[in-house]
Amino acid sequence: MANTMTISKEKKEARIVSVFIYAFLILLAIIYILPLLWVVITSLKNDNTLMLSPWAMPEHIEWGNYSFAWTKGHLGTAMLNSLIVCGTTLIVSMLFGSMAAFAIAKLRWKLSKIAMYYFLIGMMIPIHTILIPLFVQFSGWGLSNSLIGIIIPYITFSLPITIYIMVGFFEGIPNELFESACIDGCSVYKMFGTVAIPLAKTGLMVTGLMSFVANWNELLVAMVFISNEAKKTLPVSLTKFVGPYHTNYCQMFAAIMIAIIPTIIAYVAFANQIVEGLTAGAVKG
Amino acid sequence: MDKLMRNKKAIILFIAPALILFTGVLFIPVCKAVYYSLCNYKINYQPKFIGIKNYVMLFTKDKTMAIALRNSIFFMIFSIVTQLICGLILAALLTNIKKGRNFFKNVYYLPCVLSSAALGLLWMFVFMPRLGINQMLASLGFFGGDCTLGPQWLFNTEGYIILPIWVISFVALWQYVGQSMMLYMAQISGISTDVYEASYIDGCSKKQSFFYITLPLIKPMVATAMSLNAIGSLKFFDLIYNMIPEGFLSHKADVIATHLYTQAFKFSKLGYGSAIGVVLLVLCLIMTVLINKFVKTESYDM
Repeated sequence: MANTMTISKEKKEARIVSVFIYAFLILLAIIYILPLLWVVITSLKNDNTLMLSPWAMPEHIEWGNYSFAWTKGHLGTAMLNSLIVCGTTLIVSMLFGSMAAFAIAKLRWKLSKIAMYYFLIGMMIPIHTILIPLFVQFSGWGLSNSLIGIIIPYITFSLPITIYIMVGFFEGIPNELFESACIDGCSVYKMFGTVAIPLAKTGLMVTGLMSFVANWNELLVAMVFISNEAKKTLPVSLTKFVGPYHTNYCQMFAAIMIAIIPTIIAYVAFANQIVEGLTAGAVKG
Repeated sequence: MDKLMRNKKAIILFIAPALILFTGVLFIPVCKAVYYSLCNYKINYQPKFIGIKNYVMLFTKDKTMAIALRNSIFFMIFSIVTQLICGLILAALLTNIKKGRNFFKNVYYLPCVLSSAALGLLWMFVFMPRLGINQMLASLGFFGGDCTLGPQWLFNTEGYIILPIWVISFVALWQYVGQSMMLYMAQISGISTDVYEASYIDGCSKKQSFFYITLPLIKPMVATAMSLNAIGSLKFFDLIYNMIPEGFLSHKADVIATHLYTQAFKFSKLGYGSAIGVVLLVLCLIMTVLINKFVKTESYDM
């Protein structure tokens, strides 16, 4: 700000204030990082030392916790299942979502506004409400205990936000580009594939990451639809680490680590895009 | 060009997959849920229409539902209020600092992308009676050095809103405040600096500019963040399910979602569970409408 008349006293005050602000922010950051660090440390200890001194560093590193969680805790299978489920959901929801968004944003038809509202209402419906009818329906179709049975609802619940954000991106593409493509003899399908999609790459990236994170962490649907150990996803397998039979906390912490490491890696690599994505939907609203 | 964009076949082809999925997996099931909620429906039996009996039972006889409703509404109010205040404070602080903004932003936001199921297990351990926080406090000399005398964070069932619910509310605040912060920051960074400069020339202090410029200009986002919080906290399931072992508190820490889960999938009362689901849906819709009506004002051009 062009406030050149600041007197030095005010400057001093501002400096004190900023010291306080930083002290507060750093303290808060510690509250955020410490529990996660503690998970790392505990996952490398064994239960005896944990009970004696839960906050101490491990004297002897126990990699065994990880191999136990990975094999006996079925987290290896769960990780693979989660990858299949989230990967498929990601690709299909991005494809269907951007197709619908293209039709709403660029193609000309009377009901496009209504279609948009129809999809938007979906954002307000909690998945809990449709859990029972879906469960009944899918059991009838033999889809319970299969990965497809959870992929379908995941795709559906990823669609509204995907469509919402992609419509915003497609609307930002100037019509002239499509007109010139039209003059070059492009069909609508080719326009979608060669003009619209490449120009809305950021949007795809953002929505993809968002739906990946949301589905990676989803617990309720997966828990209801899948009871077969070999088909469970990560969050469901995790819940089995607590309970009356399991009291080995170090192994539980190793399991927590296995579950959150992929998201942490994705977050570190794509922090800006994830942040943008999670706000983009709301900002445009 | 115009003709190309009006190509009926293309339109249908583009919209159909999403529309079919959406209708089949979302809208028809919602209608079915409403129908089931009016039925006596046990797993492996045909649904039998019984009118509004499920709802009457739900609101007059079901003590757990009363607790669940109370807990969920508490969660909702708690998260709306605390997330609004903490989110705004964080956003205001972070937009005003020069160094390290991205670092702090990313750190506070991190738990939002992590699995609630995993974080729930972590916090459950931290709040165990003999381990975690109690032991840490005891070693610092609290409770006369005996950690068993510390508060039973997750097992105390006294009071109108029991202690575990408070604890979980704070954990949820810890996990999700980053989201509100991020939404407010996005909106604040959209406000042109000209507005602030003009206000400083007019003799406005930083505090005043926050209350008279920033707040009114981010009001639409406040509405959005509040409705996200409201719906999110009504749907709350993962943290509670993982922090409180099933049956430990004899359903005193139930919320609507956990009650639905137990009724429908433990006791296989599908009709009754659907009624709970419909109540949840109605609550979500009411909150969205209410918040948008009372908080949202016309958006200003920025």
